[in-house]
Amino acid sequence: MERWQPRRGRGRGRGSYSSSSHTQQSNVSNYPSTRKPTLNLISSDNNKKHENDDPDNLPNLTGSCPYMCPVDERTRRERLRDLAIFERLNGNPTQSSSNLAVKKFCRTISTKDVRDLDLRPILVLEDTLNHLLNIFGSKSQPFEVIHDFIFDRTRSIRQDLSMQGIITGDQAIGIYEKIVKFHIISHHKLQRNIVNSDSGSNVSPMHHLNMEQLTKTLSSLYHLYDQTRKPNPEFYSFYVLLHLGSDHQPTGESLSLWLQKLPSSVMKSKEMMFSRRLLRYSRFGNFKKFLQTVDSEASCLQYYILEPFVCEVRAFGLLCLNHGGYKLNPYPLVDICKHLFMEESDVESFCKDCGLETYTSEDGTKFMPTKQTSFCSLKGSRIYYPMVSKRLKILYDEVPEII
Amino acid sequence: MASYMSMGEAHRRITEYLNRLVDVISYQDGASLKQLLSLSSESPSFLALADALNVFQDANRLIKQADKYSQYAEIVAPLFRAMQSYRVGHLVESYQAFEKSANAFIQEFRNWESAWALEALYVVAYEIRILAEKADRELASNGKTPEKLKAAGSFLMKVFGVLAGKGPKRVGALYVTCQLFKVYFKLGTVHLCRSVIRSIETARIFDFEEFPVRDKVTYMYYTGRLEVLNENFPAADHKLSYALKHCDPQSEANIRMILKYLVPVKLSMGILPKKSLLEKYNLLEYSDIVLAMKRGDLRLLRHALEEHEDRFLRSGVYLVLEKLELQVYQRLVKKIYIIQKQRDPSRAHQIKLEMIVKALKWLEMEMDLDEVECIMSILIYKNLVKGYFAHKSKVAVLSKQDPFPKLNGKPINA
Repeated sequence: MERWQPRRGRGRGRGSYSSSSHTQQSNVSNYPSTRKPTLNLISSDNNKKHENDDPDNLPNLTGSCPYMCPVDERTRRERLRDLAIFERLNGNPTQSSSNLAVKKFCRTISTKDVRDLDLRPILVLEDTLNHLLNIFGSKSQPFEVIHDFIFDRTRSIRQDLSMQGIITGDQAIGIYEKIVKFHIISHHKLQRNIVNSDSGSNVSPMHHLNMEQLTKTLSSLYHLYDQTRKPNPEFYSFYVLLHLGSDHQPTGESLSLWLQKLPSSVMKSKEMMFSRRLLRYSRFGNFKKFLQTVDSEASCLQYYILEPFVCEVRAFGLLCLNHGGYKLNPYPLVDICKHLFMEESDVESFCKDCGLETYTSEDGTKFMPTKQTSFCSLKGSRIYYPMVSKRLKILYDEVPEII
Repeated sequence: MASYMSMGEAHRRITEYLNRLVDVISYQDGASLKQLLSLSSESPSFLALADALNVFQDANRLIKQADKYSQYAEIVAPLFRAMQSYRVGHLVESYQAFEKSANAFIQEFRNWESAWALEALYVVAYEIRILAEKADRELASNGKTPEKLKAAGSFLMKVFGVLAGKGPKRVGALYVTCQLFKVYFKLGTVHLCRSVIRSIETARIFDFEEFPVRDKVTYMYYTGRLEVLNENFPAADHKLSYALKHCDPQSEANIRMILKYLVPVKLSMGILPKKSLLEKYNLLEYSDIVLAMKRGDLRLLRHALEEHEDRFLRSGVYLVLEKLELQVYQRLVKKIYIIQKQRDPSRAHQIKLEMIVKALKWLEMEMDLDEVECIMSILIYKNLVKGYFAHKSKVAVLSKQDPFPKLNGKPINA
């Protein structure tokens, strides 16, 4: 089968593929594109060639591997006993099958060594992703084990896409969107696992790495949206929500800069208006309105992203109420519940977490005295108290793992 | 028109140019050299030369004819091609040829010991950027990925490297830096500014004061804009104010550009511009915002932001302006206080939260007591209001002394 190579502006042949005389362009977008991907990513310093979103540096190969994992890799890994638990046939660590083995992400590959046989075409990638998402929803193993596997294998899917220069098309969009959802749900579950464990308050590296890949996948997705002109506003809103918080710059780029480039239709979409409003409230410090808006409007995925920030908002709320409240008017906890969307017992614990005392009066009403000087702002992970929100509860009880 | 020129005439014009070029270089006449390199100026002599080249078609032969010409063949031959392409509107080709010529020029420039050709280098740097922009427009209109401006950026980094040395050429580095800023801002890749900024500000070979004023102004303008994007207001104020102070007072367009970013910065620090300033420099998009801040009119602020949303988003100041809401609230509460003071000075410092709800309702903003209390608590915490709120009686009690502290040129703390 003849290989062809889409022409690029700088048209020098690459390695052994330059002999083709075909001029057909298919992977290269034919849409007039006015901008190049410009999101700066945290790990841009260790940006590998094959993960680089810059289309000028992408190699131009067409995958022909019909399986979720190239045969060579599978046999090699069987021999080396390097099979993940989900890839083992009947639990045998040396035996897999074409239905179970999934191509691993390869950190050190250089584009010269890659053969078409090693890359999976987009239809195979779609099937692979569906297979992975079934595992994700399965609960057959502890969550971290599942996450680890899906994390790696979806990264490999993205690698295959970028090595083939696939930067356009509805299928690609579908794949990236699903992977984004995977990262968001993982973000939520990994967060819960940290704060509920006793192993100290450091954010786990897994959580940080997940966040990193989330932003990278979003970046690729936005580029796709640029090319196809079919943006999905909810996915843009995620980016804004990632920037909530005083020290949050997960992408290393100013949010103002990012907003400059958005099409007007996206800016004015319901989802973006929601996240922009949350941003405004968070910058103002309007904890009440922030939490009210989350309660009444957040989608499940949006909530997962902003959930870690809810703690910060609530802490700020307590800070203000404690700071400005009249000394002779201790604040009734039941009113704090209303402001912060928390159960009363949770408010009690939360005050304690923040170094604030509460007390119970003779008739059983609980209060938080104001003008306490012992407020401490815990950075990093706090214990998370669920939001008292009927609407949200319904949303995230509704089997959110199915993507 | 090209077709009206005879071969003889064309021959004459080309050799005239070549002779001039050779003379100008041998006399180290930088001012004249730069005239010979400026394509986009589209001066009559340039246009005539380009026509001559298109008529004659074989300028290379002329170049090779004499040693004095052929020594500069690497510069001139592609330059001629660039001119020809430019004249017939093939801008991508023109850029590509000009880049070749520019590369060769840089090599020669390196060998010239003194900085006599610096002005000419500036022209080359400028032309590279302008031609790249035109080339990208051509690419985009043909459905292709624009990439020439990015290439121009790489070229300019090379030029920067050539100038970043101990000799007299180093004063040119700031000009090239500014061209790079323009490229990066246009491409949206402003994070790339960081490395040049670092070189300028930390390298020992550079002394900022040695650079020409014009370049310092441009530099401070762009670095000021970066500070605005990152919301470092004191730094932004310092840089943009410097640019304003040293900007040519006749250059109204440049002053306007600086003010466009300086006004939001100053507003964040509680400093309001005079209406006459906004009018003089055509910055009326800010006038409603200033009015809203003077009146404490939240509705007007929201309306102004909405009306000019696209413009503010594009210049990257939208989020900055949104945050002015805090000051508008402060002003609103202050107004209520002033009115109360007129009615009953002894009780003015006690403001029923219900009053604030009423005032907001009058501004067509629905807010309940709880939210008002929440907002008061924030204003108090951020030191925009001095006092406390009494939860039980739903009253805000203001300090008798200086209940509405001024920002004094400092931005509000998070």
